[in-house]
Amino acid sequence: MGAELLDARPALALLVSATGAGLIMLIGYRARLRAWLAVGAAVLKFVIVWSMLPGVLAGQVYGLTLFEVLPGLALELRVDALGLFFALVSSTLWIPATIYALAYMRGRQGQRRFFSFFALCVATTVGIAFAENLLTLFVFYELLTVCTYPLVIHEGGLAARRAGRRYLIYTLSGGALILTGMVVVQHLAGTLSLSGTGILDSIDNHAALLAIFVLLVAGFGVKAAIMPLHSWLPAAMVAPVPVSALLHAVAVVKAGVFGLMRVVYNVFGVEHMRVLGFAGYLGLLAGFTILAASVIALRQHNLKRLLAWSTISQLSYIVLAISLLTPAATLAGIIHLANQAFAKITMFFAAGAIQRATGKTRIDELDGIGRQLPAVMASFTVAGLSFIGVPLLAGFITKWYLSLGALQAGSGGYMVVLALSGLLNAAYWLPILYRAWFKPPAGVAAAGNTSPLAGSAALSPMMLVPLLICAAYVLLLGVGAEAPAMPFVLAEAAVRLVFGLPGPAP
Amino acid sequence: MRALAAFADWPHLLPALFLLPLAGAALLPALLRTRPAVAWASALAVALATTMLAVLALVRLLGDGDYGYAMAGWAPPLGIELRYDRLSAITLLTGALVSLALLFARREMTGAGRRQAVLYCSLVLILLGGMNGFVITADLFNLFVFMELLSLPAYALVAMSPARGAALAALKYLLPGAVSSLLVLFGIGVLHALTGSLNMADVAVRLTPGGPSPATVLALVLISVGLLVKAALFPLHFWLPDAHSAAPGPVSALLSGLVVKMGVVGVVRMFDVFGPALGGAMQAFENLLLILGVLAILTGALAALVQHELKRMLAWSTVANIGYIFVGLGLAGSAAVSGGIAHVFYHGLTKAGLFLAAAALVERTGLHDIDDLRGLGHRMPLAATALSAGLIAVAGVPPTAGFVGKWQIALGALEAGRPELLVVVLGGALLALAYGMRVINALFFRAPVSDQVVTASEAPASMLVPSVLLVALALAGGLSGARVIEFILPFAESLGGR
Amino acid sequence: MLQALFSHIDYVAVTVLFCAGLYIMIARGNLLKKVIGLNIMETAVFAFIVTTGMIDGGDPPLLEQGLGPDFASPLPHALVLTGIVVAVSVTAVALALIVRVKREHGTIEFDELGEPR
Repeated sequence: MGAELLDARPALALLVSATGAGLIMLIGYRARLRAWLAVGAAVLKFVIVWSMLPGVLAGQVYGLTLFEVLPGLALELRVDALGLFFALVSSTLWIPATIYALAYMRGRQGQRRFFSFFALCVATTVGIAFAENLLTLFVFYELLTVCTYPLVIHEGGLAARRAGRRYLIYTLSGGALILTGMVVVQHLAGTLSLSGTGILDSIDNHAALLAIFVLLVAGFGVKAAIMPLHSWLPAAMVAPVPVSALLHAVAVVKAGVFGLMRVVYNVFGVEHMRVLGFAGYLGLLAGFTILAASVIALRQHNLKRLLAWSTISQLSYIVLAISLLTPAATLAGIIHLANQAFAKITMFFAAGAIQRATGKTRIDELDGIGRQLPAVMASFTVAGLSFIGVPLLAGFITKWYLSLGALQAGSGGYMVVLALSGLLNAAYWLPILYRAWFKPPAGVAAAGNTSPLAGSAALSPMMLVPLLICAAYVLLLGVGAEAPAMPFVLAEAAVRLVFGLPGPAP
Repeated sequence: MRALAAFADWPHLLPALFLLPLAGAALLPALLRTRPAVAWASALAVALATTMLAVLALVRLLGDGDYGYAMAGWAPPLGIELRYDRLSAITLLTGALVSLALLFARREMTGAGRRQAVLYCSLVLILLGGMNGFVITADLFNLFVFMELLSLPAYALVAMSPARGAALAALKYLLPGAVSSLLVLFGIGVLHALTGSLNMADVAVRLTPGGPSPATVLALVLISVGLLVKAALFPLHFWLPDAHSAAPGPVSALLSGLVVKMGVVGVVRMFDVFGPALGGAMQAFENLLLILGVLAILTGALAALVQHELKRMLAWSTVANIGYIFVGLGLAGSAAVSGGIAHVFYHGLTKAGLFLAAAALVERTGLHDIDDLRGLGHRMPLAATALSAGLIAVAGVPPTAGFVGKWQIALGALEAGRPELLVVVLGGALLALAYGMRVINALFFRAPVSDQVVTASEAPASMLVPSVLLVALALAGGLSGARVIEFILPFAESLGGR
Repeated sequence: MLQALFSHIDYVAVTVLFCAGLYIMIARGNLLKKVIGLNIMETAVFAFIVTTGMIDGGDPPLLEQGLGPDFASPLPHALVLTGIVVAVSVTAVALALIVRVKREHGTIEFDELGEPR
């Protein structure tokens, strides 16, 4: 492990977005200014986070202590490979998400509040990624909940408020569970640090360890949408598309799995977890979620809801990976943070584009939409095929390493789960693709929909370009996965840290 | 710091802490009866000066450790002794909060409430003097006198609201208050009969040979019940919701933030007086406090959840937070006790800020119900944001002020081998978050239903500055939590002769 | 048992008085009566404190008369004086409040007053 270097960049990355958010709230009354502020903050943040990549790859770790909240417990930031990976995924995706949102939300109410909190969310996400200890992680985790709430209920109205309330109840309860677990950890281990690989190593109180595991896993599991803690996610689909993209591809759900990673890899440590044997239960839950969510997805008529259930299923791929405790599986889990994010955000962008251009939200309305919006559907197709696990696309890489990991762990049975999941994915993606490309468009446009031929023209390039870029990246992630400068390398570095394996020669 | 230290060596610093405000209180009606604005300014000046004195007192503590003062030069145990220890640092808070409350009330002082302005300022200063004296005295009867000195203005201040039910609410506060004072006096009388002394340390020494005799226990019971009524610990909290919600805004801030905490300080002092004598029997007392604290947390939080009136909800929140403090005290480990005392400090800050923010909202619109205040967040953004932030802080979300004490208490619960208390501690926090979110939701995410909300305008600076300042401190207070805990820890460790 | 009661007749009397006052405060609905009850309780406590300074057959605590070995303690007297002052102040405030309550609500019977606001 490299030496820890004191560096302001972790805090800077946070501050950039927070300042951006503040500025938008205070002076962002005009659309132009808002746009510049939002995109500017996103780009700046991206640059700052990226600048830490070479150092981290070389084994460097960046740290910064902010405040000492309690004796021995400080709000502290630390950038290691895993944290940087998450931060990179978030800050990279923020730029297209912001650009897309600017186009999507054009003409809608409350944009100042929307973009202000939008920027705050990425600040808190980076805070989660760079948290040195559980307390810091928790603070930013809860802040993320608070910042996403106004976005979820943005549309106003009864459905939005209900969904918002459910969202809050679930996530705050999860937070309470995490907090309880944290207190027990602090009491037993005397520290909440995530810098090592197992602060609970010296504890042999099995009951207490189990309690900690259950509390922390359940707590983080809410945002990670492990069944049965998942039901906030489909309900939150009432939010505008950019918010759903944000919640379900980039920030909230990934924060949940990231938290799980930190718990298993840094609080317990893989060795200890293997000895304790708790991870098996987690794996079973994950396997169940993967399949059950896919089955429910089959029955969805609304496109966004289908995407929600697909997310729940895909997230548990990562949870499964975490539970397997082998290097290949861990690699798969980390990589899937990126793969699933890019693919899912592509799909959400596509869904939003379809809705904006044609007003259609149901799957059975999508006949022939490939002709009307070819670029959109092409991107959607790439993402869909990625989820099915078609080689040369991102999803395949995940499945490959996950299967390897399962075999390594001696839980070959999960390969069956993966195979089944692939089939189920095919079962709900392929029909959509078929409809879109091979069926003729529906007859006379229903009242209220824009005329079919005007479809593509109605889409601003600000919505199309992010969409295409994300789709292209899905392709890139699959084809060029092991090329240098791809996330793969960083993920490998993270895996080495988790397992204490020596790095490649510098 | 050096220059400050020089000032801090002024020998008469301690009595000045209460003599200054009392002198001010006496002079105000005498000299400035007809000039309310000047009276208000003078009162503010006196309060600020007292705060400065408190800072100096703290500086001296940091340099030299605990120190004392013999009133009129008569040595204890016959003379009345003052003693400044780490708990007395709360005088900082009393001075600061009174100053801010006075600042908040500026509009009233120069506007419609002019006639009562001088009396109001005078009463507030007596309250300040009484509180400061209460916290630094080392003599039992002196404690009683200061307790009355701070209670009487409180009763009167509650009645100063122009609202119709105010006098009745004040009476409902006065009657239990007077009885509780009487109980304390009775207990002090018993202690005096037992030991012949009134000095706290001396009494503690003289009681010890007798062990846990019935008379000692009687004294403890009498004094505790009296103090616990003042501290509004379940089930002796019944007077609080009415009194704190009926009082004018700044008065509620002072009551919930400070006056109620005086009861807590009194109980903490009693640990030192009775601890050595009762020894193991203190455990039973501590357990009782613990159980009552748990019940207080639950009752307070649940009651707050179902309130319609904003200020009443805040009052019930105080009941719950007092519960937290006593859970900390009852657990008796140094982590828990330090958490409890830190919470006295932090909750004082937070609740005062909350009541001021709430008062700003209520007084600008004339509406008291949470549901009537829907949408006010857009018309009065600063005050509403302050209220919302304060509610988050009071729930104890890290890293706000409310978190520090609650975390320490949770740790203390685990140290004492009582993990089941975690459920209560964190459950209470969740409930607090729930009623907080209710208000935030109403203020910011609902459409207005009352005319007064639609036409409301932001509160004046004199109201905003104190409330925003306090809430900002409450939010950021948690960030320096380590320092506060470390400050209190030596005191917590030495409590009760452990 | 009776012997013990009689030898501590002062404490018994104080307790009876205190409980009487407390009963009045709790059981009587008229605000003025409550204040009277409070005063009775206060008197009980003062009496208690004064008697604790008493010594059977002791001298009055006056310096000029020359002090024997046993003299009543003067300290409780000081305490009680202070206590009386406090009690008077509280009673005064209470009475002022009652006057205002009567003016605002028209009654000082607790039952008729109901909930504030």
